[in-house]
Amino acid sequence: MITACLGPGILDPSGGPGLAGHLARYGSLPAADAVQAAERCGLHGRGGAGFPVATKLRSVLAASRASGRRPVVVANGAEGEPASAKDAVLLTRSPHLVLDGLQTVGRALGADTLILAAAPALLPALEARLAERRDALPVRLHPVAERFLAGERSALVSSIDGGPPLPRAKVPPIRERGVTKRPTLVQNVETLARLALAVRGDTSAAGSTLVTRREEISGLVRVDVVDVPLGAPLADVVRIDDGVGAVLVGGYHGIWLSAEVASSVALEAPGAAAAGVALGAGVVAALPASRCGLRETARVVGYLAAESAGQCGPCLNGLPRIAAALDDLARPARMPTAMLEDLLRWCGLVRGRGACSHPDGTVRLVRSALEVFGAELAIHDAGGCTAVDPAPFLPTPGSSP
Amino acid sequence: MNGAAMWYLNRASGIVALVLMTAVIVLGVVVRRQGRLPGLPRFVLVGLHRNVSLLSALFLVVHVTTAVLDPFVDIGPAAAVVPFASNWRPAAVALGTLAVDLLVLIVVTSLVRGRIPIVLWRVVHWSAYLLWPLAFLHAVAAGSDVRSGWALAVVLVCAGVVAGTAVVGWLLRPPPAADRAPAAMASIVSGAGRGSGVAVFRNG
Repeated sequence: MITACLGPGILDPSGGPGLAGHLARYGSLPAADAVQAAERCGLHGRGGAGFPVATKLRSVLAASRASGRRPVVVANGAEGEPASAKDAVLLTRSPHLVLDGLQTVGRALGADTLILAAAPALLPALEARLAERRDALPVRLHPVAERFLAGERSALVSSIDGGPPLPRAKVPPIRERGVTKRPTLVQNVETLARLALAVRGDTSAAGSTLVTRREEISGLVRVDVVDVPLGAPLADVVRIDDGVGAVLVGGYHGIWLSAEVASSVALEAPGAAAAGVALGAGVVAALPASRCGLRETARVVGYLAAESAGQCGPCLNGLPRIAAALDDLARPARMPTAMLEDLLRWCGLVRGRGACSHPDGTVRLVRSALEVFGAELAIHDAGGCTAVDPAPFLPTPGSSP
Repeated sequence: MNGAAMWYLNRASGIVALVLMTAVIVLGVVVRRQGRLPGLPRFVLVGLHRNVSLLSALFLVVHVTTAVLDPFVDIGPAAAVVPFASNWRPAAVALGTLAVDLLVLIVVTSLVRGRIPIVLWRVVHWSAYLLWPLAFLHAVAAGSDVRSGWALAVVLVCAGVVAGTAVVGWLLRPPPAADRAPAAMASIVSGAGRGSGVAVFRNG
């Protein structure tokens, strides 16, 4: 039985974010091959999809050799997920690990263009960190828009190329044709930081992940980021007791788990995938029992519908309809006839019909909410609601609660 | 065949082709803006756009053939595709020849639409907005009927319809993708508020 040893991990603040502290703690960056290091420790991406990093690096290398063009490496610190703060904290606390990862990957792929994409507020400090270094390959900083989809890989490529931060069709794939039509690797900043440790021979770095925790402690909502070993039980990451109604795992494209299921499941354990649990953007939010899960989900889905890229009909038209239906269900009032059947039908109509997985992820959240909060649905239909606290728990920037 | 009959056929097919091309432009804008004609599903509109354009091409074939065959005007077969190759009113006929060339390009690219790059298809298709004025100017310059009377009225009405359709089409253009989601949200929510239920279809 693994007990989670939650600690700062790669977010260790000792020594400060500057270069001197970084070198004192981790040493200088060796010339080891990033692809072999990723293979050896079995590193998976931390951007949400969990794709094996070595495979991804090799595919970009192959595309680069086939086309004869030097690839572009993009460090994705966009973090469009409002409930996630891990990338921002990582870029503030350990930026040199990310920059090391960027350099080592750039060298392994033979890239001549390295880009670090992050929120505009983080860029001045990152400029200072870049100025401290003496790297072989120059790094360009790119500000990202504050949109949910701005960090999607093709949206990021489009934005770097000067276009709108909206997803594009994946044919040809980004690894073959991305920034300025060259093979492009888009990798999450946490993945790059862990790769920087892997090339230094630290294989344990691939065995843990950053998690943004959101829970209510003594009436106050507390948000922090911790480094959690993969396979740790969820109950060790957030406190799950009678005060918790349900746990959101993965982010706004993740799923809800009831408190009973959450207290017995582990992140990334063999049985987790079968239960539909995936780490996603590394968000674990413990919804207090005093709040209404249906109202929270309705607000989040309303936010997701407003964040649609507006390019694909099923998403643009379907998500607002789903959001409006959830709004109706979140009210303690008689459910309109056939509302639930219509809602499930619309959910089936939008999956797989967009250029990106925004509608798929949203529908995943909706289905899990209808399942986990099924009892609450019946209570609302009868005119009541078990929640006593109407204040919003999950963040939805840009919309009124 | 009576030579005059061929000339009448030429003039009549020309005017009919212009009217049909006017209808094609209107249908094209309606399709592009996802509009409806009452009682008709949208795939019928798309089919109408294609079929009416092919019909207009057919009338054009008659128009060009009779012009070449007619003994009274010296228009050789080369003038059907090569501008300024006609001996009779070369400039006026050249306008029509250019229009025919564009129409051939548009029809051919549309027939092989799945097999050519979409950008190529779109650029050629947009030249329809060049084709119509060329056809109109050809009608005014080469057409002997269009000086006065009902033929002039028909041609002017067609010009007004095309201009009006283009303006309306431009005014109804969709906002950039990034701005569409808020409008979609607002239209759905207002539908729900009116009590008409959540299932209000935006497109019809």
